[in-house]
Amino acid sequence: MSTYTVTATPEAEESGAVALAVASLPATFGPAPAGGAADIAVIAGGAGWTAEAVRAVRSGSRGVLVVDPVPEETAQLADAAQAAGAAVVLDLHWASSPALVGNDGAPDARSAVRGALGTASLLDSVATAAPGTDVRQLLARHLAAVLAVCGQLQGAGVIRSNATGYAVSATLANGAPFTAQGVLTAARPAGVAIHLYTADGGVDVRVPDPDAAWPAEVRVTGAQGELLLPTLYESAHRAAWRRLKNHLSAGTRPEDLAGFARLTDLSATLRPT
Amino acid sequence: MSHIAAPAGRPLGVGFLGGGPVTQAIHLPALARLKDILEVRHVMDVDPGVASSVAARVGAASSTSMAAVLENPEVDIVAICSPHQFHAEQVIAACRAGKKAVLCEKPFAMNGDEAARIAEVSASTGVPIVVGAMHTFDPGWLAAEQHWGDLPAQAHTIRSSIVLPPNARFEDFATEIITRPATGTPDYSDIEVIKGMMQGGIMGLAIHDLPLVRRFTPDYDEIEVLQARHVRPFGYAVSLRTPTRVIELRAVMNNTWKPAWTFEAISDDSALRIDFTPSYVQAGSAVATFSRGSETTTFGPYGHNGYEGEWRELAELARGTRRAPSAQALIDDLTFALAISGATVQNAAAGHPGATQTAGATA
Repeated sequence: MSTYTVTATPEAEESGAVALAVASLPATFGPAPAGGAADIAVIAGGAGWTAEAVRAVRSGSRGVLVVDPVPEETAQLADAAQAAGAAVVLDLHWASSPALVGNDGAPDARSAVRGALGTASLLDSVATAAPGTDVRQLLARHLAAVLAVCGQLQGAGVIRSNATGYAVSATLANGAPFTAQGVLTAARPAGVAIHLYTADGGVDVRVPDPDAAWPAEVRVTGAQGELLLPTLYESAHRAAWRRLKNHLSAGTRPEDLAGFARLTDLSATLRPT
Repeated sequence: MSHIAAPAGRPLGVGFLGGGPVTQAIHLPALARLKDILEVRHVMDVDPGVASSVAARVGAASSTSMAAVLENPEVDIVAICSPHQFHAEQVIAACRAGKKAVLCEKPFAMNGDEAARIAEVSASTGVPIVVGAMHTFDPGWLAAEQHWGDLPAQAHTIRSSIVLPPNARFEDFATEIITRPATGTPDYSDIEVIKGMMQGGIMGLAIHDLPLVRRFTPDYDEIEVLQARHVRPFGYAVSLRTPTRVIELRAVMNNTWKPAWTFEAISDDSALRIDFTPSYVQAGSAVATFSRGSETTTFGPYGHNGYEGEWRELAELARGTRRAPSAQALIDDLTFALAISGATVQNAAAGHPGATQTAGATA
């Protein structure tokens, strides 16, 4: 029997592949009985998701998992979760990939990128999604992935944006350029690529969509050669669920909302150039 | 070693104007693979030591004057590998000397007037001119051209990304270089330094792929630079747009050992990616990959690169077995590059802390 029962909105079920993720952690999570109360509420991250999450927390959910949230002010939700002792975990489309931020000191993209930012020449990033994708949603997913691995971005601005994609420019802490390009095409699998170029090499990160457990690739290049970090055959969805499990079992509070505030702040300051 | 069928008679003679690293590390090794059809007969350089040393490597005559090359009846094809500012006059002089073909390193002129004069002389003398945009002669690119269907008309996004170590790394894999140009530590706070580096980035590095970009940009004459940023120690991040295309150019020349040189053209439902081999080394052709959803089709690698492709074409042009390339296409390529270069320099300068006035950004 599972420890925690789960209920999901239809939108969250579809976008978050909730049944699949829950089935992959069967000793911890299981579906709530029809009409019954659930320990875990899963909601979709469309506009207004913070208010919906607050309601879930206040109605007694021990955990809330939000699928693919759009940038929104999260202070009220953070306060509500703190008061209720609830764990709020964000299932970010690419940023929740376990290859970006690992557990227990495992090598990950964040460590590789942050360790190399001091000698950065350029951080260039390309996100790909199917035609028809909302470019604002794509940009939010894209920036969330970038922010998961790098530090602050200064002077961010949208250079162009239309139905085929966008270009964003900013500056890294050491003054090097940051560029992010979004491309809408069905020619290639969706995903995000992050390339950090440094004085003698760099870091290449490629994160696929979370609809399968295909692994992200993180390659670190330096004077001694190239290192492929261990591949993790776990989707971003399942990684988010596993983090929720860990917080619930340990009684700890996730820092997802605090981290997400960086994305919300960055999105609010994006200016057309 | 690569061979093509030896033609009747002796090989065509080649004369070089300029014996620097490009001649030493690119052209002489490429010609060594084509000795059945082409033979270096004269090397000119303003430095007599360089001229004689480089010439001696291939058993050619040497001199310090352009006239000696142009008047040498053993020279059928003139290769112009001098500094950019001399290209136009030397191309014109080679055409008027009645040579069978001219190879000019890119850019073949520094402004539209020079380009027009070259076109006139080429037309009046009938001497074909090839500009050393080696990627357009790469078998990987040519294979892509054969298979790209309507992608040039449908692509909405074009991207060129060049990551290279300093030239010396690959020059040293190709030959034993003498007389490398001196390099210093640039003063990045000097706006004129940044402007010079951005111009050098576009006209010296991006220009390799701008003819490729133009093939996928039917409204190339309406190019607009949205943003241009300098990348240290040498490189650029440039965002361009036309009414129907977005174009992103990236380049980083750092101390990495790992080169990555890619060109991409992307439409709603199909995409082309070409991975080029680095300059200087005889590392075979580019690999062209078409993708359509989960399906990919790959062409290459083939046994030779674009530099060898250039020389194969030059030999055919000199023998009259191939039609000369369109002079207008060469002019259009140059005009496109000059427009991007000028606007890029302006844009980058406007964003530099040392800028004292706002510069326009439209080409």
